[in-house]
Amino acid sequence: MISTAYAADDGHGGAGGLPDPMHQFEIKRIFELELFGVDASFTNSALFMVIAACLITLFTVLAMRRGSLVPTRLQSVAELSYVFVANMVRDNVGTDGMKYFPFVFTLFMFVLVLNMLGMIPYTFTVTSHIIVTFALAAFIFLGVTLIGFWKHGVKFLKFFVPEGVPFVMLPLLVVIEVISYLTRPLSLSVRLFANMMAGHTMLKVFGSFVVALGFLGGWAALAFMVAFTGLEILVAFLQAYVFAILTCIYLNDALHMHH
Amino acid sequence: MAGAEKESGRTTGGRDTDDIRQRLDALEGKLDAARVRHAPPPEQPEGRGRAMGQALRLSTELVAGVVVGGFIGWVLDGAFGSKPFLMVAFLLLGAAAGILNVVRTAKRMQAEAPVPKDLKPVDGDDDD
Repeated sequence: MISTAYAADDGHGGAGGLPDPMHQFEIKRIFELELFGVDASFTNSALFMVIAACLITLFTVLAMRRGSLVPTRLQSVAELSYVFVANMVRDNVGTDGMKYFPFVFTLFMFVLVLNMLGMIPYTFTVTSHIIVTFALAAFIFLGVTLIGFWKHGVKFLKFFVPEGVPFVMLPLLVVIEVISYLTRPLSLSVRLFANMMAGHTMLKVFGSFVVALGFLGGWAALAFMVAFTGLEILVAFLQAYVFAILTCIYLNDALHMHH
Repeated sequence: MAGAEKESGRTTGGRDTDDIRQRLDALEGKLDAARVRHAPPPEQPEGRGRAMGQALRLSTELVAGVVVGGFIGWVLDGAFGSKPFLMVAFLLLGAAAGILNVVRTAKRMQAEAPVPKDLKPVDGDDDD
């Protein structure tokens, strides 16, 4: 219902003639669906997640279809990304962490492709919604905590007890450690979300400056836009990388229990 | 005639393998150089983007600590009916946890940061 109401002022919902920079983040239902009383409509966000998943599958399958010893260009891109993530896992978690490589690789590729898809004009940036990044982060957090308890049993609780601390200070410090542990999903999700949303808002705002300043003044804004788009592509990659590497670091904490 | 052709083929073949090996070695060297150059591609995004990323990372750590601490206090307050007190206490604890996180993140950044170009302590003092 809301979607149709908003769809009326199609495209640029802002007042005063300038396009509304937040309009790009709006969720639109593509077809409505209600499952067990829950609104499970297929939205533009879901559409881009499906596109990303298809792109990654298509890319890896097509690239490795031949699996030749001397790789084609596409194949070497796939191998490069494999080696990149494999090294990341090996350096940060160790060889026994390679069990979790498929998960980290999937995560990295998914976030990376979602971020990069967002850089194409007229697309929707899924990772600019905190609920999406928070769902990813919460899943990682729960999984890592479960792995910790599964590997070490109750001893994993020692992770929250800092060493060499006077006994009187322990209650306070344990609480602080627990809170510090609980901030992980929040800081992990906020970082990705804030970077993507801030970047895309800036792009829209400066894009509207180009139009608003006209033929004479718009060039300066346009030059800035070009540089800023480059920076945004870098940020899109960097944030996917940071997301994956922090997952590795958390995994390492759970497996080897040291800060 | 056929034999001569075969022989010439073999010799060029031998030269080819040598050639290929040499080229492979050269390529390996080039690859190593390229690998060194590109070693941590995301780590070296020059200047402002990198610094901004780090600043954002540290500030989210700090804010997340306070937010999570406050939220826990708020929930506990609701559970025990001790309206503002637990929230105040946990806000402070959350701030402490945030600072702890910032210190840890900063330590990690320092450990993995490349030595700055204008600060090469290894060779002593060669200033350019």
